[in-house]
Amino acid sequence: MTATDNLVIEGLAVTTLVDSAETWLDHTGDDTRVDPSLDTDHRGAAVERLTAWRARHRMRRQLAEAVLARQRNPERGLPVASNERVFAFLRTLVASRRRTIIALITFSLLAAVAGLIVPRILGGVVDRVTGGDPTLASSLNGICLAAAGVVLVQGVLTYLTRLITTVFGQDLLSSAREEVVRTVLRLPLSRVETAGTGDLVTRVTRDVSAMASAAQWALPQFVTTVGLVGLTLVALFLNSPLLTIPTLLGMALLFFTVRTYLKHALAGYIAEGDSYSTINSTLTESVEGARTAEALGLQRQRARQTDLDVEVSAQTERYTMSLRNLMFLTMDYAFQGPLILVVVLGAVGYTQGWVTLGQVTVAALYLQQLIGPMDVLVQTLDRAQVGMASTTRLLGIAEVPQDRTPSGEEPRDSHLVGRDLRFAYREGHDVLHGVDLDLVPGERLAIVGPSGSGKSTLGRLLAGINGPRTGEVTVGGASLMGLPLDRLRTEVALVTQEHHVFVGTIRDNIVLARETTATEDEVREALAAVDALEWVERMPLGITTKVGSGNTRLTPAQAQQVALARLVIADPHTLVLDEATSLIDPQTARHLEGSMSSLLTGRTVVAIAHRLHTAHDADRIAVVIDGNIAELGSHDELMALDGEYAKLWRAWTS
Amino acid sequence: METFPPRIHAYGLPSVAANPTPRPLPTADERPDVRSPLRFLLWFLGRQWKILVLSALSSVLWFGSSAITPWMFGRAVDTGIGQRDLPAALGWAGWMLLAVSIGVFFGVFGHTIVVAGWVVSIYRTVGLISRRALSMGHVLPRRTPTGEVLSVAGGDADTFGATQEVLTRAIGAVSAFIFVTVLVLGESPKLGLVVLVAAPLLVGAAAPFLRPLQAARTKERTRSSELTGMATDIVAGLRILRGIGGEKTFGDNYVRQSQHVRRAGVEAGAWQSAVDALATLLGGLLLVLLTWLGVREVLAGALSVGQLISFFGYAVYLVWPVYTMYEFVQKWVQGLVAAKKTVVVLGQSAPWKAGTDTVELPRDAVIKDEQSTFLAQPGQLTVVVSSLPDDSAALADRIGRYLTGSEDPVSHEIDENLKGRAAKRARAEKAAELAALAQADEERANRPWGVTYDGIDVSRFDLAEFRRRVLVSDTSAMIFAGTLQQLVDPLGRATREQAEEALRVASAEDVYDLVPGGWQGRIDERGRGLSGGQRQRLVLARALLADPEVLVMVEPTSAVDAHTEARIATRLAEARRGRTTIITTVSPLVLHVADEVVFMVDGVCVERGTHHDLMQHSPAYRSVVERGIDDDPAAIEHPLRDHALLPTPSGAVQDHS
Repeated sequence: MTATDNLVIEGLAVTTLVDSAETWLDHTGDDTRVDPSLDTDHRGAAVERLTAWRARHRMRRQLAEAVLARQRNPERGLPVASNERVFAFLRTLVASRRRTIIALITFSLLAAVAGLIVPRILGGVVDRVTGGDPTLASSLNGICLAAAGVVLVQGVLTYLTRLITTVFGQDLLSSAREEVVRTVLRLPLSRVETAGTGDLVTRVTRDVSAMASAAQWALPQFVTTVGLVGLTLVALFLNSPLLTIPTLLGMALLFFTVRTYLKHALAGYIAEGDSYSTINSTLTESVEGARTAEALGLQRQRARQTDLDVEVSAQTERYTMSLRNLMFLTMDYAFQGPLILVVVLGAVGYTQGWVTLGQVTVAALYLQQLIGPMDVLVQTLDRAQVGMASTTRLLGIAEVPQDRTPSGEEPRDSHLVGRDLRFAYREGHDVLHGVDLDLVPGERLAIVGPSGSGKSTLGRLLAGINGPRTGEVTVGGASLMGLPLDRLRTEVALVTQEHHVFVGTIRDNIVLARETTATEDEVREALAAVDALEWVERMPLGITTKVGSGNTRLTPAQAQQVALARLVIADPHTLVLDEATSLIDPQTARHLEGSMSSLLTGRTVVAIAHRLHTAHDADRIAVVIDGNIAELGSHDELMALDGEYAKLWRAWTS
Repeated sequence: METFPPRIHAYGLPSVAANPTPRPLPTADERPDVRSPLRFLLWFLGRQWKILVLSALSSVLWFGSSAITPWMFGRAVDTGIGQRDLPAALGWAGWMLLAVSIGVFFGVFGHTIVVAGWVVSIYRTVGLISRRALSMGHVLPRRTPTGEVLSVAGGDADTFGATQEVLTRAIGAVSAFIFVTVLVLGESPKLGLVVLVAAPLLVGAAAPFLRPLQAARTKERTRSSELTGMATDIVAGLRILRGIGGEKTFGDNYVRQSQHVRRAGVEAGAWQSAVDALATLLGGLLLVLLTWLGVREVLAGALSVGQLISFFGYAVYLVWPVYTMYEFVQKWVQGLVAAKKTVVVLGQSAPWKAGTDTVELPRDAVIKDEQSTFLAQPGQLTVVVSSLPDDSAALADRIGRYLTGSEDPVSHEIDENLKGRAAKRARAEKAAELAALAQADEERANRPWGVTYDGIDVSRFDLAEFRRRVLVSDTSAMIFAGTLQQLVDPLGRATREQAEEALRVASAEDVYDLVPGGWQGRIDERGRGLSGGQRQRLVLARALLADPEVLVMVEPTSAVDAHTEARIATRLAEARRGRTTIITTVSPLVLHVADEVVFMVDGVCVERGTHHDLMQHSPAYRSVVERGIDDDPAAIEHPLRDHALLPTPSGAVQDHS
């Protein structure tokens, strides 16, 4: 037995792996994910096959709706807004652009009117031909020139309508996405620190682009086509009320078809999109983790994983395909059928003298003109629906409640004190049990303890990221949670291991905390303090060199120095360093000791330490065990106490 | 007919049918023709020729049925309505109904086939890319940026779908055009000629606008993807932005770029509006021209009213097949571009030669590395301490036969502004660069490696066999999404007791407790939501459960606190007793349990012994271990040496739960 064996810490609950026997599966390879009965079987009589297909279609519907439900109520992600919220949001966006809207509607109606005049003129000509009008030959040139003139006007009006549409759509879209990013930048700190960013990334990429397609295309198209369809109906009626009936019947048929389709399409397309992002994330893991797969011999497993993803995706594709097919079955009749009815009604009407041949011609031309816009209208609704779903997710970001209410209190000094701190991630499960801690300004305090003891949580309370359930953390007498965020940043900062370099200039990357006030000299001083000025000045454009993804690449050490320089500029009097996630990554840290120590000099430092030498160097050490501070004192005092810390230290140095 | 999803068997990785299916699985590799983009595209389309034929056929019938409707309407007017002949009109109405019904049938059938063809294209590309990447392992990311590999599966797969769809539609369009030509020339040669000439002109008239439109669209797309990049960037760095500040700077940057995108979008939209307006204008003018000519014909008695009405229909109808042809040309070019990018990825291969004269890897071998003079005794726990962590990581790669090197992978994206010859030259340079990289790998992989097992050079072992028996777990080890059980026992070979033991040794029981659902609890991709230490301990448990004869681990406990690390060290030594284990670390808690410690300075082993001995006799060693950082002359001398080699410690990235 070695010395370290005695280090099993009391207070650390002995884990028994609850339900291990119940949840372990002996055949993990049987995870098929797709119900075998969904696999198409091309045998049996037509009726049987149809019944089987309907059963499969229903199963696929359930699967799609389950995906939709999951997306609408994300388990761990951000909230989703209601449809009412989206409409209200759209109303405010549209209301501020009233003049554009009016111009858009006016021009689109004028263009539609122009488009309807031409067939009327042609219909008139046909009537005069059949009527044997002798003056026709002489007036034909004039009539045709007039018609050509109308066509010209229609062309110009169409151009203007489309142009205004584009301007309007792009304007709407850019406002919406900028608003989304502003909301993201207002997310409460505690939320940003605890929740992963995966959900947010999906929202700012996939959902924004779905919203884009709706705003850029669907919304303006909708405005123009609705007008066009309505006016065409009016024109049809003016041409001949009798010959309008076929169109109305066709539209009624279309209405019911499309309504059924739209009712199910959303879930279908959401599930389809979801299946492709699963394919994509599995593939991303396989490609980026190709070395791990190679090392562990997982090539077949990973290929299998992708095959399974594809199976799921194929089912969603089959579902939306069937939905569209069901719609097409009646949609083509709704589009083409009226023409047939025009033949029948036209024959009866012409015989009875109710309609002229010209009116029949006009009705046929109008019908043909109507198919395009109606088709567009259906697609528009389809896309608008998907865009709507995405917008609910985007507006949901704004529904995260703010976590701090500025109290107006001002810190008297830089003395940080925690009193009776309790905190629970889940209700009823406190991870801290009334911790008291009084930091001496300028001291270096190391917190050590086993994983799960609550030391990271303590660090986050001390940095003002989360508010304690009971008690409070104060700086100079003012509660940290009562300080506005930009004020808090000047008091205390949590130092994390962010390799992240933003897309922007080096200066942009450094001035963060004082983005409006920091001078160029201060940036240089901060860079010099972390030994980074030399390489920055060697760069082609110095501190205005663009860095970040797609620009000049920084090495991990340079990225770390940039991160340190950010803190120098922020200049908080207290730093909380969590070693698990902090800059002291053993790989890089050894190169950065000098940069680091110049940052720490003159500040109060709370180091959540994994490495014992960090603890040894500290003025005081707090040993946190099971949510309490078990030992507190200098290295020598704790060695004399001969408790947990002393045992660990001896194992470390012997 | 091949239905979807397709079963892909390629690069030695077979297809897995999840369900019992009447379709037989392929038994041999499919071999994409990667000699040129065109050959690849043809090979790709050839793989689904049955779908192509069927959808071309249904598109011909669908186009045909709609092409005949205007003619029928004209006949109905002439012989039915115009003659006040109700039965004749009803007869024509019946024929029209039949034509519409045939159209509906082939529309639905064709749509089904087209969807099948489209998604088969996507799924095939995904299957091929995934298998190519997996079969090449760590070599592919060295050569091609992973983003470009993924964009083939994400974007180009869809382009192949679009290419094959438009190909079949083009076939239908051509046949419809010929059909209508025959019809109209038969009715009235004069008007027929006008229609036939006008339709292509109508489409062609837009051509001058199309180039600026394309350019504007490209600009919009580029700017828009930059914008998405900025949003992702903001989210990725949100902890910093909210923790330290900078919301205004980056919020403003985003707004500025968003306005750039808006302007580009408006510009593209303006060109598009011109194209649309032109189509309206020319279509209308054609209609007027036909009326003018047609009425004169009718007055001269050469044409009936019904025929004139039919011509109105054709004039509108013919735009469609012509437009389809035009679309085909565009999409075919895009298909070739996509094929070019795909061929870059699929055209590569792993550098290892399948040796015929392989030697069996000896059991319990003494492992020696020439470059560093490192030596590990069989069955022992050897710990490598290095003043520079890069050196020990490189040693681990050599022992495990992984290619290392600091070259950046070759991106095939060229500057958007390069055109014509300059673009061609840039592309050729990239291709040459990639070829050079591949050749260097090949050369390195096939000469003696410089690491021996019982005196036999590593290059003489069968690589697959070698990987099975020697496992290197490096700092970039990926955590794949799945259940906890799949994560720690991905091959499904362990018993529950072994898995529990592995969790215990790695002190990862808390992760088990954290994830609801026990062994079936879900772990997100890359272990998102777990802390760095938790991820590291899961990776450790997985490596231990794989139970390789030789286990090499790089900094396996760097993100774990001292208490837990002490526990892991003891249990690890116990669990690996009697099996060769090599660990690189500077933590004394691990060094304590080592059978032998090897001390490396500047990539060369300078001392060896027990931790206790070295602590007593080697001041240099003592300083590296105790302080890790201070008094380290090497680190001070080259503070920024070779950072490109630094593996990103995936275990140390964010996400605290």
